[in-house]
Amino acid sequence: MSDRKSEVLQGTLDLMVLKTLYAMGPLHGFGIARRIEQVSDGVLDLNEGTVYTALLRLQQQGWITSKWGTSENNRRARFYSITRQGAKQLERETENWERVAGVMDRVLKLERQG
Amino acid sequence: MRKWRMLWARVKGQTAQEREDEAFDAEIREHISLLQRRYRAQGMSAQEAAQAARRQFGNVTTLKERQREQRGFLSPAEWARDVRFGMRMLARRPALNAAMVLALALGIGANTTVFSIVDAVILRPLPFAQPQQLTDVQSSDTGHQYEDSDVSYPDFFDWRAQNHRFSHLVSFHDTSLTLTGVQRAVHLDGEVVSWDLLPLLGVGPELGRGFRPEEEKFGTRVVLISHALWVSQFGLNPSIIGRTIHLSGDAYTIVGVMPANFRFPVDALQNSFWTTLAVDNDGTPKALTANRGAHEMSVIGRLKPRVSLTQANDDMNAIAARLAKQYPDTNTRHSSVRVESELKAMLGDTGTLLLIVLGAVGLVLLIACGNVGNLLLVRANEREREMAMRSALGANRTRLVRQLLVESVLLGLLGGVTGCTLTFVATPTILRLIGTSVPRAADAGVNLPVLGFALAVSLASGVIFGLAPAARFMRGDLLSPLKEGGRTDTGGQHRLGSVVIVGQVALGIVLTAGAGLLVTSFIHLTRNNEGFNSDHVLTFLFETPDSRYGNSRAQFYQEYFEKLRALPGVESAGGSMMLPMTYNGATVSFENPEHPLPKGQLESASLDLVSTSYFRTMEIPLLSGRDFTDADTEKSTQVMIVNRAFAQKYFHGEDVLGKKLKPGTSNGPTSPPAWRTVVGVVGNIRTRATDRQMDPMYYLPASQLPNWCCLYSVVRTGMDPLSVEPEVRNLVASMDPDIPITDVRTMRERIGLELAQPRFAMVLLSAFAGLALVLTLVGLYGVMAYSVARRTREIGVRLALGAPRRMVLQMVLRQAAVLVAIGIALGVVATFASGPMLRAFLYGTGARNPMVMAVVCGLVAVTGLLAAYLPARRAMRVDPSVALRYE
Repeated sequence: MSDRKSEVLQGTLDLMVLKTLYAMGPLHGFGIARRIEQVSDGVLDLNEGTVYTALLRLQQQGWITSKWGTSENNRRARFYSITRQGAKQLERETENWERVAGVMDRVLKLERQG
Repeated sequence: MRKWRMLWARVKGQTAQEREDEAFDAEIREHISLLQRRYRAQGMSAQEAAQAARRQFGNVTTLKERQREQRGFLSPAEWARDVRFGMRMLARRPALNAAMVLALALGIGANTTVFSIVDAVILRPLPFAQPQQLTDVQSSDTGHQYEDSDVSYPDFFDWRAQNHRFSHLVSFHDTSLTLTGVQRAVHLDGEVVSWDLLPLLGVGPELGRGFRPEEEKFGTRVVLISHALWVSQFGLNPSIIGRTIHLSGDAYTIVGVMPANFRFPVDALQNSFWTTLAVDNDGTPKALTANRGAHEMSVIGRLKPRVSLTQANDDMNAIAARLAKQYPDTNTRHSSVRVESELKAMLGDTGTLLLIVLGAVGLVLLIACGNVGNLLLVRANEREREMAMRSALGANRTRLVRQLLVESVLLGLLGGVTGCTLTFVATPTILRLIGTSVPRAADAGVNLPVLGFALAVSLASGVIFGLAPAARFMRGDLLSPLKEGGRTDTGGQHRLGSVVIVGQVALGIVLTAGAGLLVTSFIHLTRNNEGFNSDHVLTFLFETPDSRYGNSRAQFYQEYFEKLRALPGVESAGGSMMLPMTYNGATVSFENPEHPLPKGQLESASLDLVSTSYFRTMEIPLLSGRDFTDADTEKSTQVMIVNRAFAQKYFHGEDVLGKKLKPGTSNGPTSPPAWRTVVGVVGNIRTRATDRQMDPMYYLPASQLPNWCCLYSVVRTGMDPLSVEPEVRNLVASMDPDIPITDVRTMRERIGLELAQPRFAMVLLSAFAGLALVLTLVGLYGVMAYSVARRTREIGVRLALGAPRRMVLQMVLRQAAVLVAIGIALGVVATFASGPMLRAFLYGTGARNPMVMAVVCGLVAVTGLLAAYLPARRAMRVDPSVALRYE
């Protein structure tokens, strides 16, 4: 494992997948993995298989749905898209994330006193 | 909400595992091949690209596994693995596991057996259309000393015409007639009903038609016959409809045949025919159908749709109140009506009794579960290291707990299957014990609902006793047992085991005390003085139909009894119309000139019409005055005999001989009730074996009321009473070949039949209490033995330091004694709290009998200490050097 890479925090992967589907429209698992890789600039250390665990979880919650379609390879692939409930959840999660990130940011910027 | 959604998704997922597996497989294969293509495009060799793609994707097998787990609850493969492993664990300790399965099988088998009876008797709806609309309707007198009573025809006709809440009201009463004109005359039981019985029940005949309204009219004689009678007497002949048959000398037309499964009333298994109430109308103003004072009919009703019991009660009570004003002479004491569910009315106290038995057997199963739970707890302790090892190798806690639960559910199911086998054997045995004392019990059997119940009970008990050991692994440090010498005594599961023992002892006390009360009560019933001598008495019945004996009944009986008394082996013989220990009985009011009362409020008492020598034959003591004699005829002075309770209640110990009373009994339409002189006083008798007191009664000579039919014959013999049966049959046949004898039983047998219900309650509860006690003792023994085994080192140290062996014995016994004592204390409290449930079923003892309680507590205490003595003795004999070297 390379030193420069960061592990994905538990729970954040779901948020990333949700946001990607929200921004990009329907994608298959490979497409989602590519998009996250692209955006993270190779900083995240991600077993792409775990994307599927997140996808199943999100689907069971009713936040995304899936449909069979055709991949770039011209083979059958499952395409995922975000649902209305999923969009709402994304909004909630984003707010929550920003709040936590803001707090973390402030805490980490504390100067040493005296 | 989210949680439910997730749960539902998993339930769905679990069922579609295989299909989803394939789809997922295709999905990831495609993903990897896309990755591969990309690496190839970046210039890698095919092999390098494949490797890089796999690295990038991560471990496929783990992912699939996790996916499968997330999708449902567990993968089929894991289920299979858990179950296989569970089986192996069960096979490893065959003796221990067989003991657990046996305990469960007994518990589950007993529960299923009792449930099969509860199902048939209580849960199954009546076998008619919309059975919830069927109600029992009784005449009643709220707020007065008179209980619910049967109904008279004129009242019934008014109810039927005036009510707004019933779509049908039907009157019915038992009858029995003799079928002649067939090969051999047969005695048939049947029912006299109003015309719309079949529309009310929503049942049709299998052949022919039901009754028509005009067939209630005077002079009509029509019958519906049972399928069984159709088979036995008419050889399934379809042209039977419209044919005339002779019943007790009258000609009846068969209009229909009822289906084989038809029974009405539901508990009258023997009924062979149904006829209309026209048979109760002799066309005179004194006919039963015109007599508002003769309360002989039961009434069943069908509520109109959406009508509640309360509405029906209100409606009927308004009518009854109106009738009481209109006919004060007859209806003052029948000023109200009680409408209740037909099934509930039919079951009465019996339903409660069955539920008590079901509750008791449920407690037995709880005790069995306690035992198995404790044994599993012990085994869980032995498996600490195994669990720690599996945990260290990466099994998560949920997996381990699930494994344990799978094992205990397996145990439960094994117990359930064995228990069901027991049920097949036990149900018929218990049904024999119940006999006819519980309506509909004969329908009980092992069927789908019963098997479903057994399965549910097995699974539930598997979870109940599996939870304790599982809970143990949910908390606490799993790994410590792996550490060197890690034999730390965790008090936790030991305390749990003790709690279970205390609970078992308490439940055992409750059950044993209940059984003790029923046994005490039953002994009281069997030793009850009936007021007559039931030994060596044969009883039987035959009809003397009006068509033949209308004018000669008195002579016939006199002649018959003389011949009967002359038979060899017969010591004396007599007749009684309302023979004790049969369902026959009648209450008739009487006028007493010393305490004149308005007509509607006359006193009434039970009466019996008897022949001469009846009292001598029954050995009912004649206390003063004389018995009836052949000189008491229709023409002579009208006389009566009263019992002691009657004399005390109505004459307060005065000399009643010579007093005059006028019972409301008449010998047919032309002779009004007569004033009668009391000529004798006899001892009290119990007319039903479960009567709590001996009621006031009066007796009239059958020879003075020859229109009343029919007399039971009572024969006292010097030898086995059944041995005179053939001669008795010959005698009756020689006098009239067309009157079959029926209901031949010894008096002993009749009393036995009356006691069938208390007997089966006692036997069942005693059996369950015994089972509970044995299970509790075994459980106590197991826990003490285990405790001693665990404390071997401690005991060794004590002994090495010089503790006397007696002290070790005492130490262990004291531990057991504390558990048993707490259990007994709780049990006594629970018994006193729950005892009153049994009150209605107890005779000669209260629900809180201190003697019974003391005996039960003593029994449990002594046997409990005995069960603890064996392990205690083992503890005393521990060899300190061995115990210490052992570590």
